Amino acid sequence: MQLSHLFTNLRQGLRRHASMHAAVVLTLFVSLSLAGLGALLVQQATLIRDDIGDELTVEVFLCVGGETRFPQCTGPVTDEQRSTIESAITANPEVESYRRITQAEQYDILRKLASPDVFEGPNPIITVENTPESLRITLKDADEYDGVVSAVSDLDGVRDIRLAKDLVDQVFRTIGALQYLAWGAAAVLLVAAVLLVGNTIRLAALARRKEIEIMRLVGASRIFIATPFLLEALFTGLLGAGLAVGALAAFTEFGIVRGLDPAIEAIPLIGWDEFTLSSIGVVIIGPALTILPTLLLTRKYLRL
Amino acid sequence: MGPVIRFEKVTKSYPGPGRPALSQVSIDVEKGEFVFLVGTSGSGKSTALRLILREMRPTSGRLYVAGKEINRLATWKVPRLRRQIGTVFQDFRLLPSKTVNENVAFALQVIGKSQREISRLVPETLDLVGLADKGNRMPDELSGGEQQRVAIARAMVNRPMILIADEPTGNLDPATSLDIVGLLDRINGTGTTVLMATHDHGIVDSMRKRVIELEHGQVVRDEATGVYGFSG
Repeated sequence: MQLSHLFTNLRQGLRRHASMHAAVVLTLFVSLSLAGLGALLVQQATLIRDDIGDELTVEVFLCVGGETRFPQCTGPVTDEQRSTIESAITANPEVESYRRITQAEQYDILRKLASPDVFEGPNPIITVENTPESLRITLKDADEYDGVVSAVSDLDGVRDIRLAKDLVDQVFRTIGALQYLAWGAAAVLLVAAVLLVGNTIRLAALARRKEIEIMRLVGASRIFIATPFLLEALFTGLLGAGLAVGALAAFTEFGIVRGLDPAIEAIPLIGWDEFTLSSIGVVIIGPALTILPTLLLTRKYLRL
Repeated sequence: MGPVIRFEKVTKSYPGPGRPALSQVSIDVEKGEFVFLVGTSGSGKSTALRLILREMRPTSGRLYVAGKEINRLATWKVPRLRRQIGTVFQDFRLLPSKTVNENVAFALQVIGKSQREISRLVPETLDLVGLADKGNRMPDELSGGEQQRVAIARAMVNRPMILIADEPTGNLDPATSLDIVGLLDRINGTGTTVLMATHDHGIVDSMRKRVIELEHGQVVRDEATGVYGFSG
């Protein structure tokens, strides 16, 4: 297949229906940006969930000693106390599973959440030693927590118990709503994009029907006839995806990294890693959404 | 080698009621023959030509073209079959935005021939059809007869085994029509099998070639050197 012939066809095709192609690109741009934003929100929710647990989580913090707020803690939790607590948890029917989070792991989590100055200096407020370890319990049912709380709350070595449900519910509800809003709008626009692709192919096939008829008669292969259409689809798909990646990059840079990051320390925020993942999705979905309908419709309209 | 086109009891029915477009047609066309396919509108001529080009499949019976059984030919092999068949139509079907040279070269470009082959074959073929000096003209600068010559050049540039001409003189005056058929006859002389569907009595009568007449989808006459109407 001659490259010059292909590129001439591509150029002519793009110019012939410039406004239709522009409509496809712009619709893809907006819809893929929204879809990418939805993907970023999902990742944001996952980050928060990993960090503070989800609504099924009950966290039992164990004594470190020397804290006047918790008079029942006479010293650091002993191995014996810990295993009694663990047995009580394991025996409870409300519990799905649990895992131990060591002092070092808790310290790392706190470092992300709290202001840096509490960890610094010759006599830091928070150290690994004074950070309580915990047993993070996953419940079978978010509303069934009374049994396990009462089973462990009076045991020796238990410092305090926190229900993630109260904190997490509202955050997830907000993120979830935004995510579905973004994906809903993206879905509607993506349908519009696919319909536009269909219309563009129909117009292009009509404009080139004489040429296509001759190609079929003289024995051009199906792939040869369909290639200019596929290249146009690839081009518009990539352009739409490229613009969406640009928009997501701008959102990450100005909305998160520079905008929110310095202001919010309590919640771990998405960054360039999550942007990269969303962008890969966008770059795959964009061209797929133009190429797949093209493959189907060229068969129909070009009688290949 | 057997016939280049062979219809074996071929029937073609279109969806819906009514008699089939072709019914139990059996025809053999040998390599190098010149055959007129005659008959009124609706007699089944176009259906026969479309079957040969594998635009569709027979409903029953067997059809062989250039050694391939059309019924069984996989869709992806159809382009290769069509490269062995040149096609000419009443309405020329030239691309108006391309020059004569480009129109003829187009048929080679789209099947992936090299630029070197194209540069050799296009002038050679235009010379064969008598348009060596008109390569740079646009189709609308040519007469009807010249446009049909360009269409014939395009059909022949890939040196096909078979040339199918569907009413090639339908839009031309009698003198030009004779010229075009003379050209087809010359092409036939180089070994190409020519199958020409026509309504043109004068041409069929003057050429004294094989005539196959279709009526209501059936072969009613097949004469080795016939005329348009019944000669007997």
